[in-house]
Amino acid sequence: MSGTAGTSAPAAASDAAVPLLEVRDLHVRVGEQAVLRGVSLRIRVGEVHAIMGPNGSGKSTLAHVLAGRPGYEIVSGSATFEGRDLFALAPEERARAGLFLGFQYPVEIPGVNNAYLLTAAANAARRERGQPELDAFEFLALVRSKMSLMQIDESFLGRGVNEGFSGGEKKRNEILQMLVLEPKLALLDETDSGLDIDALKVVASGVNSLRAAARAIVLVTHYQRLLEHIVPDFVHVLARGRIARSGDRTLALELERRGYDWIGEQAA
Amino acid sequence: MSMPAATERIGTLERILRDYEAVAAQLPDSAVAADTRRRAARELARLGWPSARDEQWRYANLRAFERVPAFRPAAPAGATAAEQGAAGAAFELPAPLPGFERWVYVDGVRQGPPAAAAAADATPSWSAEQRFGLLCDMFAADRAALRIRGQAAIELLFITSSRAAGAAVYPRLQVELEAGSRLALVERHLGVHDAPSLVCAGVAIELGRGSQLQHYRLQQCGTQAVFTDTLSARLSEESSYQVRQIGIGAGTARTSARVALAGRGASLGWQAIAVGRGEQVHDTTLEVEHMAPGTRTEEVFRGIADERSRLAFSGHIHIDAAAPGSEARQSLRGLIEGAGAEIDLRPRLEINTDEVRAQHGATTGQLDDNLLFYLLARGLDRKTARALLKWAFLGDVLRAIDLPALRSAAEHGAAGQLPDVMAVGALA
Ligand SMILES: Nc1ncnc2c1ncn2[C@@H]1O[C@H](COP(=O)(O)OP(=O)(O)OP(=O)(O)O)[C@@H](O)[C@H]1O
Ligand SMILES: [Mg+2]
Repeated sequence: MSGTAGTSAPAAASDAAVPLLEVRDLHVRVGEQAVLRGVSLRIRVGEVHAIMGPNGSGKSTLAHVLAGRPGYEIVSGSATFEGRDLFALAPEERARAGLFLGFQYPVEIPGVNNAYLLTAAANAARRERGQPELDAFEFLALVRSKMSLMQIDESFLGRGVNEGFSGGEKKRNEILQMLVLEPKLALLDETDSGLDIDALKVVASGVNSLRAAARAIVLVTHYQRLLEHIVPDFVHVLARGRIARSGDRTLALELERRGYDWIGEQAA
Repeated sequence: MSMPAATERIGTLERILRDYEAVAAQLPDSAVAADTRRRAARELARLGWPSARDEQWRYANLRAFERVPAFRPAAPAGATAAEQGAAGAAFELPAPLPGFERWVYVDGVRQGPPAAAAAADATPSWSAEQRFGLLCDMFAADRAALRIRGQAAIELLFITSSRAAGAAVYPRLQVELEAGSRLALVERHLGVHDAPSLVCAGVAIELGRGSQLQHYRLQQCGTQAVFTDTLSARLSEESSYQVRQIGIGAGTARTSARVALAGRGASLGWQAIAVGRGEQVHDTTLEVEHMAPGTRTEEVFRGIADERSRLAFSGHIHIDAAAPGSEARQSLRGLIEGAGAEIDLRPRLEINTDEVRAQHGATTGQLDDNLLFYLLARGLDRKTARALLKWAFLGDVLRAIDLPALRSAAEHGAAGQLPDVMAVGALA
């Protein structure tokens, strides 16, 4: 099963032995508030995980801490990416190692050209992998095919990063960046929020096109709807800073029916 | 403690007046009439040398002006055009702007054919705050006087050569637009790097009814220069004055501008950038007076202070009782890059009538961490990410320069002040 990714068999074997991402008993504070209170999570290549949970339960905090956003205090616990200590790496090193964060709220950066960012990001990743940098022509060919998949007009390349993009356009632009970067692990924080039904399908097909035996995807979402298009192998519920429950896709259906209260009762 | 400061002030004023007496007889009437010069000298004597204790001069680097070795002009009438031409030829001129007529001034004196017959002759009565304008009236050896009827595009290059070392240069610019006329005007100050000298410009602008002036100002003097420009503009009914100002050169630079929106519906757009590094000090005061109904101001300043540089921008917009229905927007932003750098922004809106739409904001800070993290999370290295964001910070104003060749010059000038931006190749 793991042989399909095109990597040599021994490498694939060791990939399978070491989880792509391993989070152990992670405690994180923001200011005075203990936001994550003992999160453990193991993600192997080829897997799709969904993380659900009430507002304010710490889903974005977890994604941010893994991507290296400053402002969080890691009190205890660990996280490894392909066996490397994630917290010892700067955010840009994590990105180049193959970790991608799709932001819940992508920022607008007027004055920084979208095409420039995509090229710079793609080439940073390629350098890391020992691949030659793309010239402008190759880059355009690559990006055009991904843009048409994401149904983003080419004129967006010439605009500032997310500048004046609608909510849905910003989310599709996140997925476009992911497709260009081809990360090993994609953490998608509520990429489905604010999308209309058609855009949701576009985003889902973009994510599915990246599904591969050598990669893993983590979807943070509030809605079962996304999971109909991107079927997860595991569903976790984050509540009050802990993984309160894990299961397969039927857990998402149950949450849709019953809400989160019963999880709280069980955990108490 | 105030004693030495007081003697120093008197000393500078005395030196100015002494220099004036020494050269007054040689200064050409064609640039400034002798009695206008005399009146300016008397007025300066009356006002005295400014003090850093005055609010309007607090951020000006007065010390640098006090250290100017001499106030006499580098090229009084005595210098021949050939000598001036030689000095100018040593300086590599920027590529000409397509569609623009170019006038070149070297050390304050026009090169080439004499000025056109139709000349403007406005000499503002400078306020105490604008008293450096008096210096230009006293000492100017030549002038650029434009009276425009119809449409024109003119590029003025003011070049300070190494011959001006140890002396001063007084670019003097008088512009009058007749009713309905349009002028695109480039005013560019350039200089060699090793010439410690005073460049003291005086600019007077009169806009006739319905006229439009696009005024592009690039200050790229040599790093040793002490630069100051004093500008006074008066706008009649329905006229429009659009200024794009890029301040990157000189060791010390001070701009003092005053714009009177005197006619109904007149509008001003003032967009400025300053980028400082090393020990540079850039200080601008802009005073706008809304005197008539339905007048508009849009004021934008973006400043980046690197290393130990200091930037200040003071924008004072005054809306008179006689100016109902006016609109004023002011957006001042500073980015502090250097550990020893400083930025002072002083927005001020004074409104004395109803039915006014006004908005102002001023923020000084560091690069936005959220934007920085976004770029890092895409794998860009920190240096590149920071350079991109710095560049983006100046983007609004740079993009507002709608002449591609000039915008490119401004971009390269600004990027030259930000070595990391240059290294990243952020400019297209
Ligand atoms: N920078 C911060 N400053 C203050 N509080 C913070 C900060 N970041 C997170 N928090 C707090 O941590 C808690 C978890 O926030 P987080 O954004 O991780 O929740 P979430 O699960 O992603 O919620 P949502 O479903 O609404 O996106 C919240 O109570 C939030 O207010
Ligand atoms: Mg969240």
